[in-house]
Amino acid sequence: MSMEDYDYLFKIVLIGNAGVGKTCLVRRFTQGLFPPGQGATIGVDFMIKTVEIKGEKVKLQIWDTAGQERFRSITQSYYRSANALILTYDITCEDSFRCLPEWLREIEQYANNQVVTILVGNKIDLAEKREVLRQRAEDFAEAQSMLYLETSAKESDNVEKLFLDLACELIREAKQNTLDNNDTAPMPGEGKTISYLSCCSLN
Amino acid sequence: MASEDLPSEFDVVILGTGLAESVVAAACARVGQRVLHLDRKSYYAGSWASFTFNGLLSWIQEHTAGSQPETEELHDWSNLLEDGEEMICLSNTNSAPFSNVQVYCYTSEKDEEEEDEARSPEALNTTEEEGGRGGGDEDGVTEPAESHTAELKEEEEEEGGERRQEGAADAQEEEREEEQEEEQVEAFPSRPQVSWGDRGPHQLQKTCGLNILHCPITQAIQTEGEGPEPESGQPRPSAAPSQSEPVKKKISYAQLLKEGRRFNIDLVSKLMYSRGSLVDLLIKSNVSRYAEFKNVTRILTYRHGNVEQVPCSRADVFASRQLSVVEKRKLMRFLTSCLEETQEEQAFAGRPYLEFLRDQQLGDNLQHFLLHSIAMATEDTPTEEGLASTRHFLRCLGRYGNTPFLFPLYGLGEIPQCFCRMCAVFGGIYCLRHSVHSLLVHKDTNRCKAVIDSRGQRISCSHVVVEDGYVEAARKPTATPTRFLSRAVLITDGSVLSSESDQQVSLVTVPPSEAGGPSVRLVELCPSTMTCMPGTYLVHLTCQSVSSAYQDLSPVVTRMFRTPESHDQEGRPSVLWCLYFNMADGSAVEVEGHDLPSNVYVCSGPDGGLGHQHAIGQAEAIFHKILPEDEFCPPAPNPEDIIYDGETCTSPLGEEGEERGEEEGEGEGEGAGEEEGEGEGGEKEEKEQEEEEEEEEERDGEVQEKQSLKSEE
Repeated sequence: MSMEDYDYLFKIVLIGNAGVGKTCLVRRFTQGLFPPGQGATIGVDFMIKTVEIKGEKVKLQIWDTAGQERFRSITQSYYRSANALILTYDITCEDSFRCLPEWLREIEQYANNQVVTILVGNKIDLAEKREVLRQRAEDFAEAQSMLYLETSAKESDNVEKLFLDLACELIREAKQNTLDNNDTAPMPGEGKTISYLSCCSLN
Repeated sequence: MASEDLPSEFDVVILGTGLAESVVAAACARVGQRVLHLDRKSYYAGSWASFTFNGLLSWIQEHTAGSQPETEELHDWSNLLEDGEEMICLSNTNSAPFSNVQVYCYTSEKDEEEEDEARSPEALNTTEEEGGRGGGDEDGVTEPAESHTAELKEEEEEEGGERRQEGAADAQEEEREEEQEEEQVEAFPSRPQVSWGDRGPHQLQKTCGLNILHCPITQAIQTEGEGPEPESGQPRPSAAPSQSEPVKKKISYAQLLKEGRRFNIDLVSKLMYSRGSLVDLLIKSNVSRYAEFKNVTRILTYRHGNVEQVPCSRADVFASRQLSVVEKRKLMRFLTSCLEETQEEQAFAGRPYLEFLRDQQLGDNLQHFLLHSIAMATEDTPTEEGLASTRHFLRCLGRYGNTPFLFPLYGLGEIPQCFCRMCAVFGGIYCLRHSVHSLLVHKDTNRCKAVIDSRGQRISCSHVVVEDGYVEAARKPTATPTRFLSRAVLITDGSVLSSESDQQVSLVTVPPSEAGGPSVRLVELCPSTMTCMPGTYLVHLTCQSVSSAYQDLSPVVTRMFRTPESHDQEGRPSVLWCLYFNMADGSAVEVEGHDLPSNVYVCSGPDGGLGHQHAIGQAEAIFHKILPEDEFCPPAPNPEDIIYDGETCTSPLGEEGEERGEEEGEGEGEGAGEEEGEGEGGEKEEKEQEEEEEEEEERDGEVQEKQSLKSEE
């Protein structure tokens, strides 16, 4: 656990209704696994994955809800000091989309002002069961100044892209913050994973 | 979404999310118990909660006369009884431990528009904001609160709807913030890149200071001001207003509301002793990773009408301008010698600490510091007790900074939530806005077999932990607590003792103004603790109740701050808004002797002590009653050390560190600890303990550097 093994460290927090696939997204990304029918994750607080963005090592610390979203009882402290939020819904579940404003209120209340928020519609492998049209979600995301992405944790579609783009965005913000030379900031798509599990190619 | 049913079987059901209950929850879940943790409130931490300004206004409304108690529909669930069982109803009204809630607002209601636009230093020096509303109104001024909560709702709705579409407004706000930050950046010109503050220390510390993430508590964060916003991250050359007279901003009530979410106002005011039971537990259990802490930077005392700094570290002592050389030497000698027991002190056993101090011929100054600020004792405190607290103070000194205390960023209300998170990570199920209607007791064994929740679901369990407020008065050994605390919360516009930095966190001890009166403890928090908006300070006052909170504390407020009642207080910070209330003193609440089944355990609410020993001790005792054989809060595996490695799972150090496989579905958690993580999904390898130790040593190493005073002599 040396301090030298990365250049940046970011805390990414997942939120969204129970059952939309938050844990699957994290597992797919950090472990390259998709455990079907897996329930709550016990004993694991957050997962770590280090990626490389334009030669810089970025350590992502990805936090899951620990099931507290089931009864809408997420602790405020969960949101504190998050650099990015991944707000997830299930494209095959209208209800999970309709709850988004409620989640946004929580974010507004407890997360810090500059947090980067990305809206993710998961389960695109179940296209035939889709209940939320892509356009609708895109419009919603745009109105709320959020990035938007559709993923499939099962097929590993866009999962790497999600986290890598987020990492790029966070570095970009970080560089702006420190007023480093702006042109060194990476653009989305410039990231790659460096962990031994990087079996999936970058989308 | 919340209509999902709860599982119907648990090992431990816990009601209330205060500190003690939350620690029990975390401890039980950690060793594999299936925990259901409920709170009838919509927020965590019960009497330990912290609120945004707007949240506090709602709380006030709820706790002032005329508010309707939460009414619960009356149900008859007796059909859920099984043979040989009887039903014990829990209290469904909120037998609130709070009383005498009074609110005063001394600032103007709205901004004067022009000023708001211009906000130039000239305009800011106006000081005629007081005399506003509510001042002097004796009996529970609920009026301001009410009228404003109404306003507030409208605002919320608007904001909710157009979140992030307020570009224009935001820009303005940022401009304003920039201005405020200018000063702060000014104060630390050599550290332009310090971006602590809003984003918190987790932000992009490029390869440095990262340790904070792994064990935040080991490096109490030396936060320096609100983090510069992205746009203003660079120090700008500007003719600095001299720091000794910070530019006074006129903050209106409307602004307090608008910036309400920047406040985290605790109902309880405590500090964490850096070698106290809470800090030890946070580190031991790894719960510390969920929170960040800041040093209390100064110990102050109120004396002869002035606020003075108490020198407590070696550096402080030498730098002190109040103390003569002789006094410095005496103080150092006393502090060094009092670490060891002497025969002298035995001679004073049973006699007041004050006499012991007098005998040391330290002089008035030192005697005052030692008695009131270091031992935090009264004139009657016996010598043994006084010395014990002096030693505790000294032991805690220098672990993380120049004072013995830490304060959690975002307020104390975070701490119970951190334990709840730990419980949830180990499978505990959380449900706010949910309570238990009754306990089902087996008549023969006098044990609680199950509970009926507020929706009429029967949930079986082996143990129940309840916060005192859930127990009907008739079942308590004494109907009401025998002691109360008086509390005041002030929002002020300046520090009680201005200094080079405007980001001080101070503990101020205020000795009784008359013999036999209560001594008052005052904690002043600056915006970088994330408990108040920039330009303000949040002040907590606490004492043992003699009469109502207002009667006990308003004289101190009037003396130390500027209010409409105070005279001739130029140079004192103004009170913008204040709240008084009384609350039950948890240390006076009996937790034994209830007319309840033997497997139902009661937690008292918060006590009046400065540290957290009371609640932690209570939690540990309850845990050992439930699980006499198990370890209390062993370290949770560090996610950094869990190595996911496709197929195999080896755990070289796994004898103690337990492996918890990927459990399926809900209500799991049985037999934790023994299961090798061979389930499907990722296996992991944990090598926790060892690194733990190393970290511990590193910490200590660090500490030594900062170490001051004591034992080196």
